[in-house]
Amino acid sequence: MSARAIRRAATGRGPSRLVQSGVIFLVLLASAAATTVSVALLAVDAYAPFQRAFEARHGAHVVAGIDPAQATAAQLAATAHLPGVSQAAGPFPTASATLSRRGGQLGTVTAAGRSSPGSPVDHLVLTHGRWAGRPGEVVLASDLGEGPGRAVSLPLGTKITVTSAPGRPTLTLVGIAQSITDTAGAWVVPAQIPALRTAAAPASAQMLYRFARAGTAAQVRADVAAVTGALPAGAVAGTSSWLSTRASANANSSILAPFINAFAIMGLVMSVLIVANVISGTVVAGYRRIGVLKSIGLTPAQVAAAYVIRAAIPALAGSLIGVALGHLIAGPVLGQSATVYGVGTQSIPPWVDIVTLLGLCGLTGLAALLPALRAGRLSATAAIATGQAPPPGRGQGAHRLLSRVALPRPVTMGLAAPFARRAQAMVTLAAVLVGATAVIFAVGLDASLARASSGVSSTAPGQVQVITMDTPAFSSGQQRTAASAIQAQGGTAHYVAEAAPTIGVSGLTREVNALAFRGSAAWTGYDMVTGHWYRGAGEADVNTSFLTQTGLAVGDSVPLSVGGRPVTVRIVGEVFDPDNPTLLASWQTLGGRAAGLTVDQYDIGPRPGVHPDQYASALNHSLGRSYGTSVTGLSGFFGVATSLIAILTLMVAVVAGLGVLNTVLLGTRQRIHELGVFKAIGMTPRQMISMVLCWVAVPALAAVLLALPAAILLHAATLRAMAHAAGTGLPASFSHVFPPSRLALLALAGLVIAAAGALLPASGAARSATVGALRAE
Amino acid sequence: MTAAIQITDVTKRYQGGQAAVDDANLQVGRGEAVAIMGPSGSGKSTLLNLIAGLDRPTSGTVTVSGERIDRLSESGLARFRRRRIGIIFQFFNLIDDLTVLDNVLLPGQLIGTPRRRALIRAGELLSSLRLEKVRQASPARLSGGERQRVAIARALMNEPEILLADEPTGALDTGTGQEIGQLLRDLHRGGLTLVLVTHSPELAAGIASRTVRMTDGRLAAGVTARGEAGQLSGASGAGGMTSASGVRR
Repeated sequence: MSARAIRRAATGRGPSRLVQSGVIFLVLLASAAATTVSVALLAVDAYAPFQRAFEARHGAHVVAGIDPAQATAAQLAATAHLPGVSQAAGPFPTASATLSRRGGQLGTVTAAGRSSPGSPVDHLVLTHGRWAGRPGEVVLASDLGEGPGRAVSLPLGTKITVTSAPGRPTLTLVGIAQSITDTAGAWVVPAQIPALRTAAAPASAQMLYRFARAGTAAQVRADVAAVTGALPAGAVAGTSSWLSTRASANANSSILAPFINAFAIMGLVMSVLIVANVISGTVVAGYRRIGVLKSIGLTPAQVAAAYVIRAAIPALAGSLIGVALGHLIAGPVLGQSATVYGVGTQSIPPWVDIVTLLGLCGLTGLAALLPALRAGRLSATAAIATGQAPPPGRGQGAHRLLSRVALPRPVTMGLAAPFARRAQAMVTLAAVLVGATAVIFAVGLDASLARASSGVSSTAPGQVQVITMDTPAFSSGQQRTAASAIQAQGGTAHYVAEAAPTIGVSGLTREVNALAFRGSAAWTGYDMVTGHWYRGAGEADVNTSFLTQTGLAVGDSVPLSVGGRPVTVRIVGEVFDPDNPTLLASWQTLGGRAAGLTVDQYDIGPRPGVHPDQYASALNHSLGRSYGTSVTGLSGFFGVATSLIAILTLMVAVVAGLGVLNTVLLGTRQRIHELGVFKAIGMTPRQMISMVLCWVAVPALAAVLLALPAAILLHAATLRAMAHAAGTGLPASFSHVFPPSRLALLALAGLVIAAAGALLPASGAARSATVGALRAE
Repeated sequence: MTAAIQITDVTKRYQGGQAAVDDANLQVGRGEAVAIMGPSGSGKSTLLNLIAGLDRPTSGTVTVSGERIDRLSESGLARFRRRRIGIIFQFFNLIDDLTVLDNVLLPGQLIGTPRRRALIRAGELLSSLRLEKVRQASPARLSGGERQRVAIARALMNEPEILLADEPTGALDTGTGQEIGQLLRDLHRGGLTLVLVTHSPELAAGIASRTVRMTDGRLAAGVTARGEAGQLSGASGAGGMTSASGVRR
């Protein structure tokens, strides 16, 4: 007997087998796709995208600011041959330039003169347009600016004004580029640089270095010392290390990792569960056939091999297509996260495909082998007798009890069924449990991220900010103009003037950022981790990073130096702001104009219902071209996180639905004779659908009741991990995203997954031919 | 006399193959007991399934209790079965998840009979069929004869006009088979129209007022009247209802 003939004899043919193969194919496809996405995201994260991009683009370990007046070109060139220096590039002339575009400021950046993007160190990636070919053209860094007005959103051809340079030269945007080490925010041809310097600024340049050993801060310090020592005194005006850029780039991936991990684990659990269920269910359904074949001489090994091969074919096909589908899904997500990381492109490492394929196929084989071996060990008569019926008497108590309930009998029979078929009920419960947990967890995480987004004023969407285009700060006259225009503008709910000085903090060697609000700023949207928003003079709020670095706590007083004036404030609250150390206080508390505070920006909160973009446009029109307005939007990080949550949730929910579908399909197959009897004695198709749907109702309800606390705990743990990675505390409101009304709605999600999965096989059972069902064994 | 069952020019063909039932015509009068006999594969069970509305004819008409069932939807057929007919099978087809009582109650519950009334009816049936002691038992734990009596009780739950029996003694030993035969005869005596598919000439002769034979899907031209086989004594009943032209052609 050929292997193929044995396989056909052992596992059968026909439409029902095709359906089973179809289910295996679909489940493996979805599982492989979900697994590929999850493992790919974890792998890419673990694979250190920044490090890879840094190496690929020969990122600069050190950017040295050079005073050309102190060192000759030959002396600078000689540093490339110093011991420990593996590569060097430059000198590139630089200028500090404040850039603005019509309608908004882009910020003050280092502009570097480069004749091409290519360089032995810090090779730039041109993502849009072309390189600057002549004076008057500029290429901007893709991460320059914020919100809708960021550089990457600007159309090529946009006019960029250098407001800090004499004569306010205008440059035409011809390209967008990325530097892995943020060596500059704008690039022009070298001949353009002198025209961009402020009137009093001396010439400056930058040298870019790569070193043989630059993995630690100590090594970088030693490298810098070697270069500085090789040049005349004063030639090196300052340096910046790649380590700070790396820390910044990896911060987002560290925050993403906890919830990607959570989804990956859920996806893998679902895969294991469903594959094992499909194969073992198929084998159990074929027990009688196995018994008959054994009675005519098939060996246990032949039976087991037949089942493994039967499962392997659709499993392999599903896995292969699923991996390809996973690539399609992960591609845009990785692309989006690559933009956030600022690492150009990211691709799935080949080993992810291999691991996913081997893992799922191995799992499938194992899942098929175990029940097949069990069947092989049974005697022929025992296998035939095992058949498909549950042990006699099981579930009769539930049937008796439920038959007294005032519900239609098909419903009560469906509700009682899980007590007779406990293994199937447990599989349904597990599938719905994982699916519902994923959905509830995802909705909670999405809500928490939305609150986190709103909790940071710089990323809270829908606020309007006003700055001056010509000067770094508002003059007295400009303040009056701006305030009058804002007050006159219809739709203004709140506004506050803001100063952003850097201040000295007792005990810290570096200055920290501060925000001084002139007027009520409680509405700006900072969420409190602990304490309260400042109320009076002498009170201040700080973020978690401030407390961590100073070792202070809410309630402590801290001496500050603001514009050289000593100020002592009492910390009354910890705000949610996952940023560098920041202190927030009133204008008066930080010393006002006497301490050198200047109004740098106005923050405006439009009234509910007022479209922020339209508001900003109208206000800009009212203020004129000397002012710039912008609307804050969601940061790229929140976009990536939301996309990932949506995709992973959808996939886990689909796989959960397929799990239920498969279980119910197996159930209807195993009970087809019984269903035929029901039809023969008068059960209508509608009654049969009700009954089969109710098979999953009890396990689904139990699953939902378990999923609610499980998802809430998982949500809390993931949030804590994300906050820890971001180095911030969490306001309680971020965790409290499950009010009873939302929980009730989310509970429905599990029931919907179960009903959606059961509906197809239920309809199939209702349509099945009665005579055929009665003949089935 | 009104026909309880009227089969006219009925053919049943499976997937273009040979006809399982080929151009059959049969009329069964109200209260009549008809046995269908023939070798295995002759199409007698298929014919019974067509009468029960478990299957649809490829062509021809099937009218039961004045209703054209070959044109009914699946829901219509289900309603027809639970109101008009009771079916008993060779292998009983009881639901093992349910107790004996729940099996018997089931047809009544499907049509929404109030629980109290259904319990009374089921109690009467279990009592008359000597099944009171096993009413809470699992069908899987009963003897073959007991299971078939439970199946009969279930078939009678909704007081059908017609009882269809497909090899009702085929899975039973001789003594138990005779007991079930006696039971069916008593039911027929009570006025129930009975169509019986059997291999057993004794059973047919003991119950049926008329026996029709099938070979290769065709009903034989001849009709055997009750008592001709003469194996079972005491048969009586509805011979007067038999239509001499019950089998055409």
